[in-house]
Amino acid sequence: MAASAPPPVLPPQTLRSSQIADLLGWWLGRRRRFRVIGQSMQPLLQPGEEVLINPQAYRQRLPQPGDLVVAQHPGQPDLRLIKWVAYRQGEACFLRGLNETASTDSRTFGPVGRAALLGQVICRLP
Amino acid sequence: MLKQAISQFQTWFPAPAVHAHCDGPCGVYDPSSARVAAEAVLSMTKKLLDLEPPAAGDKAASIAYHNTFSRYTAIKEEQAQITKDELLILWTDYFKPVHLEQFPDLHDTFWKAAKLCSACKVEVSLQHAHELMEAVQKIHGIFWATKNRDVSWYTAS
Repeated sequence: MAASAPPPVLPPQTLRSSQIADLLGWWLGRRRRFRVIGQSMQPLLQPGEEVLINPQAYRQRLPQPGDLVVAQHPGQPDLRLIKWVAYRQGEACFLRGLNETASTDSRTFGPVGRAALLGQVICRLP
Repeated sequence: MLKQAISQFQTWFPAPAVHAHCDGPCGVYDPSSARVAAEAVLSMTKKLLDLEPPAAGDKAASIAYHNTFSRYTAIKEEQAQITKDELLILWTDYFKPVHLEQFPDLHDTFWKAAKLCSACKVEVSLQHAHELMEAVQKIHGIFWATKNRDVSWYTAS
């Protein structure tokens, strides 16, 4: 039988709004908030929207394909990116934008190591 | 109430930025860029196969031979990678689930074409270089069919 291509992972379609527990986590310093700049995560996230991330998310487990993440740009450590994990190979994640024609991502800068992931995006704020 | 308070807080204390970085949503796709690179792979493969080794003891001819061989190989390698990059951009950026319904073997076609790019890098294979051109031609047909445009296949060489 001929081999066939692996099924593609679908990008995230939704991101929930924050709940009381998320706000409490933020207040306790267990969540960090960021403001989205740029258009590569449209239509899910619009420029100017804010999100909360869990910086501890990948301490115990590896990122999964489909996760929304905030990562450091491999070539510009002071530049934070918001992307989704298209696939993972070992500890390296291949990151993509949602609006692919408007995205600079792993197609340009290659896979990103686990250490460069600043956390998982868990909800929008508010 | 809580939502309003958060919104007010966000206005007063803007959050640090995360970049959903943009390099221009041009949306311009054309399989011809893959075709040009694949043609270069085929051309370099032919040239490598046609290259005659120099007579033993002719140092100048030997240097020229190895220099030419290296250049052809480097170009073949580079153009095969460009072909792969161009195909992957088409596959992942242009094609949408609706196209998959129209062409159920779309994923398999691209996957095999990308594998052929790798084979053309690893080998000096006329067969695989021709198969890569055939794969790019097939993708050309699929691509323009999704746009309901009749664009005939042609090659530069």
